[in-house]
Amino acid sequence: MYPFSSQKRSWTFANEAQLQAFRVEQNTKYINEHESEAASYDSLDKFFLTPAEERLLLKQYEIYLVDFCRRFDPPMPKCVIGTAFHYFKRFYLNNTPMDYHPKEILATCVFVSCKVEEFNVSINQFVNNIKGDRNKATDIVLSNELLLIGQLNYYLTIHNPYRPVEGFLIDIKTRSNMQNPNRLRPQIDSFIDLTFFTDACLLHTPSQIGLAAVLHAASKEQENLDSYVTDLLFVSAREKLPGLIDAVRKIRMLVKNYQPPDREKVKFIEKKLDKCRNQNNNPDSELYKERLRRLYTDEDDMPGEDAKFHIADVSSDTSAMNISQ
Amino acid sequence: MEEQACPRCKTTKYRNPSLKLMVNVCGHTLCESCVDMLFLKGSGACPECMVPLRRNNFRVQLFEDPMVEKEVDIRRRILRDYNKREEDFATLEEYNDYLEEIEDIVYNLCNNIEIIETNKRIEAYKRDNREVIQRNKTRVGRDECALEELLELERVQDESRKKELDELETEHKKKKARDKQALIEELMYSGKDAATIVSEFAEKAEKQREEEKQLPPPKSIKEFSTGIKFGQTADPNLQPVPKSDEGPLFVYEPLIPYTDGPTPPPASDVETVGYIAHIRPETPQENAGGFTSALACHRALQEALQCLYYTPTTGVGVAL
Repeated sequence: MYPFSSQKRSWTFANEAQLQAFRVEQNTKYINEHESEAASYDSLDKFFLTPAEERLLLKQYEIYLVDFCRRFDPPMPKCVIGTAFHYFKRFYLNNTPMDYHPKEILATCVFVSCKVEEFNVSINQFVNNIKGDRNKATDIVLSNELLLIGQLNYYLTIHNPYRPVEGFLIDIKTRSNMQNPNRLRPQIDSFIDLTFFTDACLLHTPSQIGLAAVLHAASKEQENLDSYVTDLLFVSAREKLPGLIDAVRKIRMLVKNYQPPDREKVKFIEKKLDKCRNQNNNPDSELYKERLRRLYTDEDDMPGEDAKFHIADVSSDTSAMNISQ
Repeated sequence: MEEQACPRCKTTKYRNPSLKLMVNVCGHTLCESCVDMLFLKGSGACPECMVPLRRNNFRVQLFEDPMVEKEVDIRRRILRDYNKREEDFATLEEYNDYLEEIEDIVYNLCNNIEIIETNKRIEAYKRDNREVIQRNKTRVGRDECALEELLELERVQDESRKKELDELETEHKKKKARDKQALIEELMYSGKDAATIVSEFAEKAEKQREEEKQLPPPKSIKEFSTGIKFGQTADPNLQPVPKSDEGPLFVYEPLIPYTDGPTPPPASDVETVGYIAHIRPETPQENAGGFTSALACHRALQEALQCLYYTPTTGVGVAL
């Protein structure tokens, strides 16, 4: 259950500042390692991505993630999307997009979350939903899978806000006298979707997010559920009420302050990324292919310096994996 | 065995040495097929002496001389009843008298002298010594079992010994084949001189032959294959209780759910208060798996209320 889960123990943080600190740390670490590559540029910032740019980039890719999942065939249940979001956010808390391109991690996150949430699709069915070279996509997803799981510290169970929302709705229907609570549902769904674009899932518990969604939807419908909260939920623990009110307020603020990123800026950032990304992990680059070649050919079979024949390419070199916009 | 011919079909015995001669109580022999034919026709009489016979009175002949066979038969029958032992007699004289009496009876019966008299004597003896006979019968039974067990033990040991030898043989053969293969490969691929390689292998083979001179000792067998131990002292119904190392015993501690939020209604309330009315009933497949809608309802309520009181403290981070 959630109170004993790894999500609460190790993947819930105190405040946004802490999250930001993690991200900045990863960014500076990468820049320090690859400083030599920016030799020809006058300022590091012109070559490498700044943390703010990284945030924008990741926001855009989160939108891509939702689109990808919405268009998925067979239709994907909501919990899979939620889990994929959690994985994506957690991964980029401890890694920088310059090291691992968000495109690849996105697909891997969705694939792993399909498995974890028992929505079983074969890898072939999965890449059928991806535009572009299927074999390449398969290779990318399968080779990144273990990396992703490792970076999540192998804590794969995610508690999403969907079941708490259901619980609240049942409770409201049974105990409070609100008319037809079902009309809150569309608002609740869209609110939760918006929370996934923010960092709410790394800062608050799923039940708090669920309650925030219910209260938000109620206010949109000109209903007031405050009496429900104070009298029915917190009847025996009035002193905890301020803490909850604070959390709910924070969540709603996060959602209100969310803005989708600007397309132009994102395009610019992507171009920058192409130059400064870690070529070791770029499946299109020569460095990567060389590394794979060395990894997969047997030492004994190499006949020495004068190779008269060419070793076949490990990955096919066609267009990049395209995700619809 | 080939000199003897069945008195009926005479020729059959020579042609088929494996055919057994059966002998009956009157001492006359018949080969197996003649026995079958005789009883097929329904008549049950010995062809030589016309004594009425039963099918199961025919035993496989052990001795060539039918007289010997007859006597052995009679002796066995008598000794089943006259089974006193030396301990039962006060003096050696009495024991010897007893033995002589047995011989007389057997001789009489064998040679058809005073049969009726002899039979009467047997009957009298049997009546007088009934308890002693009974007691001795059981005692003899136990001795026989002990003997049987020894025989069984020997047999099992022989079998296992044989099996081990067989296994050693096959191992040995395999090893030889492997060594040969290795030698050929060495000669083909290695750069060494052919003579040195061959001499190396010859040395290795010598060493191995020395080792194999010692056979492993046969395993001593203490029990039958079913696990019943040898020896009549162990009652098979009273096996020793097997000792298992158990470790600390399990003590039930009731699970205390920790909510960090308002307490959810107990599972009993789910149906009574009416929460369950707002949830769909389970499908038959789900019900077959053990799920009920009450479970799902209760779980949703629990999850809604878990950690509602949570406030961020220092916040734990994962440093990778």
